[in-house]
Amino acid sequence: MSFLIPRKTSRRSVLRAMFNGGAVTLALPFLDAMLDGNGTALADTGKPLPVRFGTWYWGMGHTPGHAIKEKAQTAAGIEFLEETKALKPFADQLNFFSGFNMPLDGRSNYTHFTGWVGSRTGAVPQKEGEIAAPTLDLLIADQIGPNTRFRTIDASSVGISRENYSARSTESRAQAEISPVGLYNRLFGPEFVDPNADTFTPDPNIMLEKSVLSAFTEQSRGYIKTLGAADKQRMDQYFTSIRQLENQMALLLQKPEPNEACIRPERPNMEDAERSAQGREMPNVIETHEIMANLMAMAVACNQTRVFNMVFTDNFANVRKKGETYTHHLLTHSELIDPNLGYQPLAFWFNERCSEAFATFLGALAGIKEGAGTLLDNCLVFASSETAYAKLHTVDGIPIYLAGKAGGRMKTGVHVVGGGDPITRVGFTAMKIMDVPIRGWGAKSLQTSKPLTEIMV
Amino acid sequence: MSRLFPVNFPPFRLVLVAAVAVCASANSAFAAEAGTQTLGFVIRDWFTSVYNSKFLDECPEGLATSNDELWWRGLSKEARAKATNNGLLQQLTRMPVAMRRGPNGENVCLNPTSVVDPPMRVIEGKYSFGANLDGESEGDATAKSCAHDNFVHPDGTPGVDNQLYRLVGCVYGWRKGGLPDLNAHEGRGTSGLGMTLIEITGVTDPRNSDNVTITFYRSVDQFAFDGTGKPLPYSSYNIDMENGQPRYSDTLKGAIKDGVLTTERGDVRLPFYGNYHFMHPVIKDMGLRMEISPDGATASGQITGYYNMDAFLHYVGGMVGHTSTADDCPAMYVAAHELADGYPDPETGQCTHLSSAFDVKAYAAFVIHPDKQTASADQR
Amino acid sequence: MRKSIFHMIAAVAAAISLSACDGPREPEATGGPPAMRRLSNDQYRNIIADVFGPQITVAGQADSLKRSEGMLAVGAQTAEITPSGFEKFYGMAKSIAAQVVSESNRAVTFPCEPKDAVGADDACARTFFAGAGRLLYRRPLAQDELTLAVETARRAAESSGDFYRGVAVSLANMLVAPQFLFITDEVEPDPAAAGLVRLTGFAKAARLSFFLWNTTPDDALLRAAESGDLHTQKGVSAQVERMMASHRLEAGVRAFFEDFLHFEQFETLEKDTIIYPAFTVKVVEDSKEQLLRTVVSLLLDRKQDYREIFTTRDTFVTGSLARVYRVPTSRPSGEAWVPYRFPDNDPRAGIITQIGFAAVASHPGRSSPTLRGRAIRENLLCQKVPDPPGDVDFSLFESADALKKTARERLTIHRTAPACAGCHKITDPIGLGLENLDGLGQLRTTENEAVIDPSGDLDGVEFSNAADLGKALHDNPAATSCVVGRLASYALGRSSNEERNYVQYLEESFASDGYRFPDLMRRIATGDALFAVTPAPTQLVSAQSSTPEMERSP
Repeated sequence: MSFLIPRKTSRRSVLRAMFNGGAVTLALPFLDAMLDGNGTALADTGKPLPVRFGTWYWGMGHTPGHAIKEKAQTAAGIEFLEETKALKPFADQLNFFSGFNMPLDGRSNYTHFTGWVGSRTGAVPQKEGEIAAPTLDLLIADQIGPNTRFRTIDASSVGISRENYSARSTESRAQAEISPVGLYNRLFGPEFVDPNADTFTPDPNIMLEKSVLSAFTEQSRGYIKTLGAADKQRMDQYFTSIRQLENQMALLLQKPEPNEACIRPERPNMEDAERSAQGREMPNVIETHEIMANLMAMAVACNQTRVFNMVFTDNFANVRKKGETYTHHLLTHSELIDPNLGYQPLAFWFNERCSEAFATFLGALAGIKEGAGTLLDNCLVFASSETAYAKLHTVDGIPIYLAGKAGGRMKTGVHVVGGGDPITRVGFTAMKIMDVPIRGWGAKSLQTSKPLTEIMV
Repeated sequence: MSRLFPVNFPPFRLVLVAAVAVCASANSAFAAEAGTQTLGFVIRDWFTSVYNSKFLDECPEGLATSNDELWWRGLSKEARAKATNNGLLQQLTRMPVAMRRGPNGENVCLNPTSVVDPPMRVIEGKYSFGANLDGESEGDATAKSCAHDNFVHPDGTPGVDNQLYRLVGCVYGWRKGGLPDLNAHEGRGTSGLGMTLIEITGVTDPRNSDNVTITFYRSVDQFAFDGTGKPLPYSSYNIDMENGQPRYSDTLKGAIKDGVLTTERGDVRLPFYGNYHFMHPVIKDMGLRMEISPDGATASGQITGYYNMDAFLHYVGGMVGHTSTADDCPAMYVAAHELADGYPDPETGQCTHLSSAFDVKAYAAFVIHPDKQTASADQR
Repeated sequence: MRKSIFHMIAAVAAAISLSACDGPREPEATGGPPAMRRLSNDQYRNIIADVFGPQITVAGQADSLKRSEGMLAVGAQTAEITPSGFEKFYGMAKSIAAQVVSESNRAVTFPCEPKDAVGADDACARTFFAGAGRLLYRRPLAQDELTLAVETARRAAESSGDFYRGVAVSLANMLVAPQFLFITDEVEPDPAAAGLVRLTGFAKAARLSFFLWNTTPDDALLRAAESGDLHTQKGVSAQVERMMASHRLEAGVRAFFEDFLHFEQFETLEKDTIIYPAFTVKVVEDSKEQLLRTVVSLLLDRKQDYREIFTTRDTFVTGSLARVYRVPTSRPSGEAWVPYRFPDNDPRAGIITQIGFAAVASHPGRSSPTLRGRAIRENLLCQKVPDPPGDVDFSLFESADALKKTARERLTIHRTAPACAGCHKITDPIGLGLENLDGLGQLRTTENEAVIDPSGDLDGVEFSNAADLGKALHDNPAATSCVVGRLASYALGRSSNEERNYVQYLEESFASDGYRFPDLMRRIATGDALFAVTPAPTQLVSAQSSTPEMERSP
């Protein structure tokens, strides 16, 4: 870490200047924090760009037979049908996975819940609401996330903050940001440090806050006694959460490397925020999503986070067309199949919008130039839903996409056919691509140790 | 302090009056007195009823000449140069200037007799909405009307009296969608001024009742609108009171047949607000006919009767925005006197009222009779 | 507010009945392990308002608690604080601390003035933290806690040249400390039983205040804890009587019913405004408040029988609500609440016919007999309705066609298809009793022009319409045992399911007290079970292994 040395002196002198030497005792703790390696510098020019991981969620899956043309076996070339036609421009930048199953091992299919939990945690819930294992994004964040301001960024355009498909456990489920303005403030508010600014002055308030937080935290540890094992674990989570905030603060005290791709975006106006709060009508959701997608993409480009989770519509697809009494979810169950079309036309309308939104999301990442390519090239986006066929709550064959080139670590343009293999093979592959040091993943019949090498470089 | 209602739960007296509408068939919960119900409505839309043909047949010479045109025609070359700042100024601020074309600079809308303008173009068509107010279909004078041409209703009914339409029907601003009525409508909506409540008592069946009483009140509460700007039905409106009595409360007898309310005729004083004018003209021989929607939430129809000419001319004369309306007040003043067809002055024989018709739309409402004794709002 | 003679007689009568009659006796308390409960959003707000004054705005929301065994209060004992959750608490804390020290608030928030506002003043800081800290941590600060707060304030004041800024820095950190955010059951050896533990007086004070007031213990209660009074029955009773006579009891009752009636569902309550033009954000807010006013007026102000919440025709409306209910009001605009009594022959009576129930348990554009039936079963009767099976064959519904005009006709398949009937026959028949209320709770007699039949039966008791269904609920024993069990869980902070004897005792007491809700609260507050605690389990609670198999790092 010798490259830190020159900065070490300069920072110390900054601190001296700031506290006039009189506050040395106070200043030392932040110095420790600043230098303990929490803040690995961003990639210098010439160093490989970091690979980022994101998830994208939509409710209600695809309309079988009308979304992606079925294939008998894995082969290059994905045939986008009517429902997914919006994704055609990204045909060579993503993979589609079909035919991967989710054996329930005798457990119930908690409708619209089991599907996402199983595919993202590898563990099918034993009871309603149970999330027995962490979602893959957090396992990846543990690997690549600690050195950014935020370990993950979670947002939802459907306006239900608790419906976020990222969780460490049943009890520890982060809530998604649902307001574009709220998301902006969190990412690009006053605490955002523009990497391209000419000057950098560590904020003395943050220095102070960080050192005080650490001191109080240390003291608090002594005051939480007589805890059972479960409560001890909750306290560990609490202290981990504080540690993460401290890390964020530490990063804010370092001058970020200049980063051409990073341009602080405009603040979305209040009307957008109002609208997102106003209702889950599809046009609103689409608009909110687009704003959030762009903010999120820029946050990734600006190295505010390396892991991001976007929920377009929730697992109960609480979205409507104005004037329709049924939500997308209710339509999938109640609407008649049009015998000429072969599908439920209104539900299909929503499904099409979902594919369009995914294209919008990928477009936001692909719209940012990075190195010789785009930000999308340096990302791996795991997009999934909770059912294969919402009408029947099918969890076998849940559609998943892996998009982006993962910095050249993933081959794309492939339709991967699972042939009934556990769906965890997809998530496991994603984790292997992201260098998560695991040998296997998943519980019971979802256990797998076989990555899909056909798409790995 | 914060506790709500201590012991005696105060009986709520407002059930006296209630809309019935959707709930009607469900229960007779809202019975006012033995066996009868009360319906309430608030009038939202009030538009002068005008018949506009597709090709302007009713105004064969074209629309009435506007005040601006007359003003411009009357300007000397020098005055035109001055008004345009020697041609540099193309956007003329005509409105206040154009009105001051009396011989001594009088505002001709406030002093309509200060100049004599060419006669105003009025309706020459055959058709009009409205009603036969004088019981006469040939155009002859009666005890309460002056001789005038009658219209035929678009549905073929002869004998329609609507001299207000004849007067304003060829004026640009008074045609359908014109400014004065729309602006007044908007103003009533946002200000809550000039709101008329209709209470129908003695209703035995909301779709068919032979003998009902219709009372017209003024509301002191504003409209409650939905997200699209339409009034929400079943809102409550308190009656405007003065010394313990309703300020407006004229009544008419009537009947409901197959959901259509038709009143007998009588003189009714109504509150009016529009274009920054408050008026409370008595509409003579006023009748109301309105069709109540099957769910009872709305009602639309027409108010017909003799409208006080002076009140109308005063309203028009005091309006601003004549540029957009294209009124010519002096000519309208003359024409109104020629066309007035109701209530001749016993001395001069000059009729004082214009037969008229107004399209109204009303929304189901609770007409609240305030009672100080039971006003018991908890202000927590 | 005048206290009515009725109130006093009732209070005296209640006191007599408690002391004089034999009545049911509380069984020996089982107790639970010491627990650690995360503050709820409402508790957090109440504490800030009570400690620093209502002028302090709490900007933002912490993560919401997760419902467990029917109650958020039970979920509080397992709630964790995630990184983003902590960030929210930290943001709230900084904003609150800045307001507390702001110039405009100092007069009410500071007991002293610094000698010099541009530098440190340990004495004043110490006074401030000793006072505020005792209320925030629900016990006096330990010496090192106080020292850290004061020293930090001093250093921050010195570096910023602002005494108040220094205090704010320390205060913000106290507001994110686990001592504040977690209500922890601190225990001490029980002098009366060797080898066993009891709650400390301060932990008891917290139990009482969060149960009865939903806020932190006030000074008098903390003094009772300090003096040891809370270890005596007499001392507890005196505090409970004092607390029950306080206006704050209403906050406690409201908090329980917000939890019991699943108020978090209002956060996502949404209606299609084309279908329901009368629906506005204000309707959502007012319908919550209406439920609470109805309940508080009935149970607390008028001290009526709890079961009347299902039958009462007395309620309160604002103009916005009156438009949805289509009833008259003398105050159609503004915020005013006006009492309203539904006429005797109106099918609407009791809380299940209020918007806050009928609209919440509905879809955005239509009513739902299934959701309503389920809400009645699960929330009001504490009966578990199984989730739908994952493999429902929805093709059965495709026969649903335009000829089926009412929900009853459309749902026939629910009750006849064997796969569905098992559950739907316990939800739909009662939900159909509310079909005279559309998806927003507006009264209707027809659907698609067909007359609605709202009759049915609840566990064998026939009803003819919604008001009648309320009567059936009034008489259903599950309705009272449900609220008793939930109130016990709420007070104890853990599920009362395992404490069958205790709940049964409370049920019997409730009945013998004429189902007076405040009496039930008093029974719990003065009983042994509230403070009973078992030693903490030392064994590891074996959680399902959830971490992936890790490779040995190279």
